[in-house]
Amino acid sequence: MELNELYALMEKFEKSGLSKLVFKRDGDEICLKKVITPPAAPVHAAVHVPAAHAPHEVRAASSEAPAPKTPGAEVITAPLVGTFYRAAAPDAPPFVEVGDKVKKGKTLCILEAMKLMNEFQAEFDLEIVNILVENGRMVEYGAPLFEVRRT
Amino acid sequence: MIQSLLVANRGEIAVRVIRCCRQMGIRSVIAFSQADRDSLPVRMADDRVCIGPPPARDSYLNVRNIVTAAVLSHCDAVHPGVGFLAENADFAREVRDAGLIFVGPDPEVIELLGDKIRAKRSARDLEIRVIPGSEGSVENGSVALEAARKIGYPVIVKAAAGGGGKGMRIVRSGDELADILAIASHEAEKAFSDGTMYLEKYLENPRHVEIQIVADRKGNVVHLGERDCTVQQNHQKLVEESPSLAVDGALRTRMGNDAVRLLQTLGYTGAGTVEFLVQDGKHYFMEVNARVQVEHPVSEMVTGVDIIRQQILAASDQPLEIRQADVLLSGYAAECRINARSAGKITRLHLPGGFGVRIDTFLFAGYNVPPWYDHLVAKLIVSGHNRLEGIRRMEAALHELVIEGIATNIESQKKIIAHPTFRKGDYGTGFLGEVQKEGIL
Repeated sequence: MELNELYALMEKFEKSGLSKLVFKRDGDEICLKKVITPPAAPVHAAVHVPAAHAPHEVRAASSEAPAPKTPGAEVITAPLVGTFYRAAAPDAPPFVEVGDKVKKGKTLCILEAMKLMNEFQAEFDLEIVNILVENGRMVEYGAPLFEVRRT
Repeated sequence: MIQSLLVANRGEIAVRVIRCCRQMGIRSVIAFSQADRDSLPVRMADDRVCIGPPPARDSYLNVRNIVTAAVLSHCDAVHPGVGFLAENADFAREVRDAGLIFVGPDPEVIELLGDKIRAKRSARDLEIRVIPGSEGSVENGSVALEAARKIGYPVIVKAAAGGGGKGMRIVRSGDELADILAIASHEAEKAFSDGTMYLEKYLENPRHVEIQIVADRKGNVVHLGERDCTVQQNHQKLVEESPSLAVDGALRTRMGNDAVRLLQTLGYTGAGTVEFLVQDGKHYFMEVNARVQVEHPVSEMVTGVDIIRQQILAASDQPLEIRQADVLLSGYAAECRINARSAGKITRLHLPGGFGVRIDTFLFAGYNVPPWYDHLVAKLIVSGHNRLEGIRRMEAALHELVIEGIATNIESQKKIIAHPTFRKGDYGTGFLGEVQKEGIL
């Protein structure tokens, strides 16, 4: 990969809403990550009074704007509130990686809710374009989890 | 003390609870459906978690998502608000099993009070007067006929799991009893998954009067006087007042004592309401609402007691801030429920203010009232030194209130408040039915 291509990629990535991007081509592999601060809630100026206590930082992966960032891709969202796990166990390999082509029925992730591990499967044959949530994060209902392309 | 409270509700009650949290230094987290993302409580809360799509059964009634949201957002307690899961014993149990505090009574108590037959039996065991009726459930037409013959017509058939007027029918003669019972039982089966029915003497045109209770886990059970909720349309309350014109000091003491005795015996915690019918100076126990009620501000205005605050203190294992001797009913207060008659965008909003006027609402200009939920959009509450002053203040406030963009019942509330029968105060639960016949509502 040429350096100017890499710079262009970095710039696009910086402007995107993605938290992680893995790019593979001709044996080269580039992984870009950034911390996304969720947009502050649209607070009504008249009603916002800072709470008397230190704010917790427990923002759930937001379910806002589930439109795909990648043209032609579609977004798979969380069907329930839970903790997002990319693998069956901490030391196990992830179920899927960006670029993987999987068949309908393949487990994509686990959503843990009330000590139940809910395996979440592909509903059609697809290619993983992007993984939008970090392992171990809380997701709310409707939070975008994956960008995928039907295959 | 509770540090972090998940509010598992929406609308004005969610706003009410979040405001109280802020005043008490408690972090609030709102659980909301996709239809409520832009709502006022979601904007006001310290944190927010989407728990499902717009239909309530998939969001505000989704026990798993709500409890998970509470745990993962580091809450130590859940406030159920009004309606939805507020009187659902299984939900209270799930909250407790997850190691969280349920702001309300214990699941066992909710369960008992949710069964209207068992609740009535508990009252009778304490020699609290109940409406004459069948001993327990009526399984079929012939059992019902026998019970009705003993009680005397008219009778009312009710669902053991009932509420909101569902599975409830008035029967005026034996000929129609079996048919009506079957229909009401079917309705109850559909609404509550429980077709168990019982039968009561139907009191003609009584007053609906309820006693507000707050109770802690230290053995303090305090009543905050009564609310008169006689102005109802199809069993839906529209105007509530305190004190009641049908209740004098002696009756208030008797009703208050009965309500306190009952909830003390049951080991009740938090805010609750004991509902009675009053006829000819006698009160008859009807049921207990095991939660805070929509009309609780009326009692707050005449007693100066913040009921939600007491509820949160009690849930936190703290003592109530008041004892019975501290409770003084002062002056008069009333509430008009402002209901939406259509969904849509609020294009213009003006809320009344001034001395003795309080409005609890989640509306703001530009807000889209979603079509999915309860029609209550605002509660207009006024206080005054006496009933006349209060009613005049209510009239002025109703005239000042402007909600444009959706249809509301403001005009019909003005007509109720102006009605000579309401002014005189001499009416029963049949009042609005009569007014409707006059064709002015």
